[in-house]
Amino acid sequence: MNPIPSILLSISFGGLLLAGTIAYADMPVLEAQETARLLALLLDSGREVVKRNQELIDNPRKGHKGFTPDEFERQLVEEFHRRSDIDLANNSSTALSTNTRKLLNVLVQAGKAVVSDAQAVINQRGVGYKNFVPATFGSQAAWRFSAKSEVRLKQTTLNPRNVKNQPDAYEEQVLRSLIGRSDRSAISDVVDNGGALRLLTPIYYSKDCLQCHGQPVGELDISGYPKEGALEGDLAGAISVRIPLREK
Amino acid sequence: MGAEAMMTIRILIIAAALVSQGCGLIIDAVQFIRPMAADELESICARKTLHAGIAAEPLRPFVFPAIFTDEGLRITGLDVDLVREISRALSERCGVSVNVIVHLVHFPSLFVELSEQKIDLFVSAVASNVPSPTRAGFAYSIPYFYGGGLAIITQRPEIADRIRERVRAGPDHANHLAAQKAALYDFLIAVQKGSGSHRYAEAQLHMDRVVLCDSLPAAFESEDPSIDIILGKLPVLQHMVSRVRKNWQLVTFEGGKPFLLTSENYSVVMAEENYRLRWFVNDVLFELEQSGRLAKMRRRWLEDDYAYPRRAAAEGLSFAPDNMPRQHDQGTCRAATAR
Repeated sequence: MNPIPSILLSISFGGLLLAGTIAYADMPVLEAQETARLLALLLDSGREVVKRNQELIDNPRKGHKGFTPDEFERQLVEEFHRRSDIDLANNSSTALSTNTRKLLNVLVQAGKAVVSDAQAVINQRGVGYKNFVPATFGSQAAWRFSAKSEVRLKQTTLNPRNVKNQPDAYEEQVLRSLIGRSDRSAISDVVDNGGALRLLTPIYYSKDCLQCHGQPVGELDISGYPKEGALEGDLAGAISVRIPLREK
Repeated sequence: MGAEAMMTIRILIIAAALVSQGCGLIIDAVQFIRPMAADELESICARKTLHAGIAAEPLRPFVFPAIFTDEGLRITGLDVDLVREISRALSERCGVSVNVIVHLVHFPSLFVELSEQKIDLFVSAVASNVPSPTRAGFAYSIPYFYGGGLAIITQRPEIADRIRERVRAGPDHANHLAAQKAALYDFLIAVQKGSGSHRYAEAQLHMDRVVLCDSLPAAFESEDPSIDIILGKLPVLQHMVSRVRKNWQLVTFEGGKPFLLTSENYSVVMAEENYRLRWFVNDVLFELEQSGRLAKMRRRWLEDDYAYPRRAAAEGLSFAPDNMPRQHDQGTCRAATAR
């Protein structure tokens, strides 16, 4: 065995044992943590853009809606800028690492591809509800992003409508800890003996969400699923990010 | 053997060779026109793909509007279920998994795509008993839905009353169907372009009172021209007025019997010359009917209470965005006699 990597490996794991937040990787834990936070924020920004355009998307009297992939990107970049103070349209404006910027860009492209695919459905005239909502956008964008990177991005909740969003053991534990917690910040941990960083950013129900997820509990919503009986501000779920820290 | 006999044998051999070459040419020519490598069933098995056409215009509950789900674009409805059943049976028949590629196209284009062999079959509540020259060259499976027919809906109760009264009081009351047709004489009637109702109007109604609409939603929203009644498929209209357009009503006689102008059965449409595929689809439908599954499927889509987006998410067929009109528009309505 080449001794140099062995030494590095032992130093890294030593650090992990001491600090609990350092692992052997190209991307240091702090950078991974920030990247995960920003990815979750970007996905949530995409969800917000879809939510903001919901009335337009579901307008049965309008054919071409103008909610094109480019328009989505423009609004996404703007929303993300507002939330993070990072302008993705300007490459030199922030001190993002190359890896982070690259991953954020992959997610922007994934979101655009989802909006592009949905054009045929969005632009149907004569059809109101089209099921193109923040949740379905988020699922598809996260799936496409995960397929194009080593980072796994997912929407999850304790009682998901889609079984693919079922939480794993770690996610379930974190989701339970988030219930009733007043602090709305993300939770992150280094797991798998320093092999990965996991981060969950909580999502809370806003007034708009309650049309489908609110009360009365059990009543079928427009898409045919029983309403969860949620109240404004309740925990809806989380955006889960898993970034591998170890070189392959 | 003498030289003369040898010469005869040589001539015979050369002649045989020439004849067999000629046969080859004939076979080559036939293969060029229609490849003999496989019939249409073998061809589907070889490519492991069934190209199925479905109308982009919703014909609820047979075809619901395409929607977006966690898994991408999906389409659902009774006809979509049938396509899945046919592909499942094909997978068994072929011994390999046969995938479905859904072609979501405007209703009149389904016939064009089938003529151009872009699709193997299509299912969109098509009545198999509509006489029309535009339906030449197409063939139909055994029905998967019985008891359809052309019915009438209106938004104005007084129109329904007037139709009933005219049928009752008309001079043709003994000839019930003639009385029904006569009762419609001064109404502006909307029909969907290319559909059975359009063919009926061409053959049986005065076209100066007919309005051609690109889709059923277009007919519902037509203001200019403002239509009096919509002529369409009974189960589709029943679904629409009971669940979606509750401000419209089905025109019925006393006792609730629908005002029907025809009787229709719905079938899968295939190319006339695709005999093997037609036998195969007939067998699939026959087995579904015999097992009771087809009746269950019909009940599930026509009678149960449900929201189609959930069914689309759970069991709908996926399709590629390129296989749907980029900007599906319900279209408009215009006078049938307009140029």
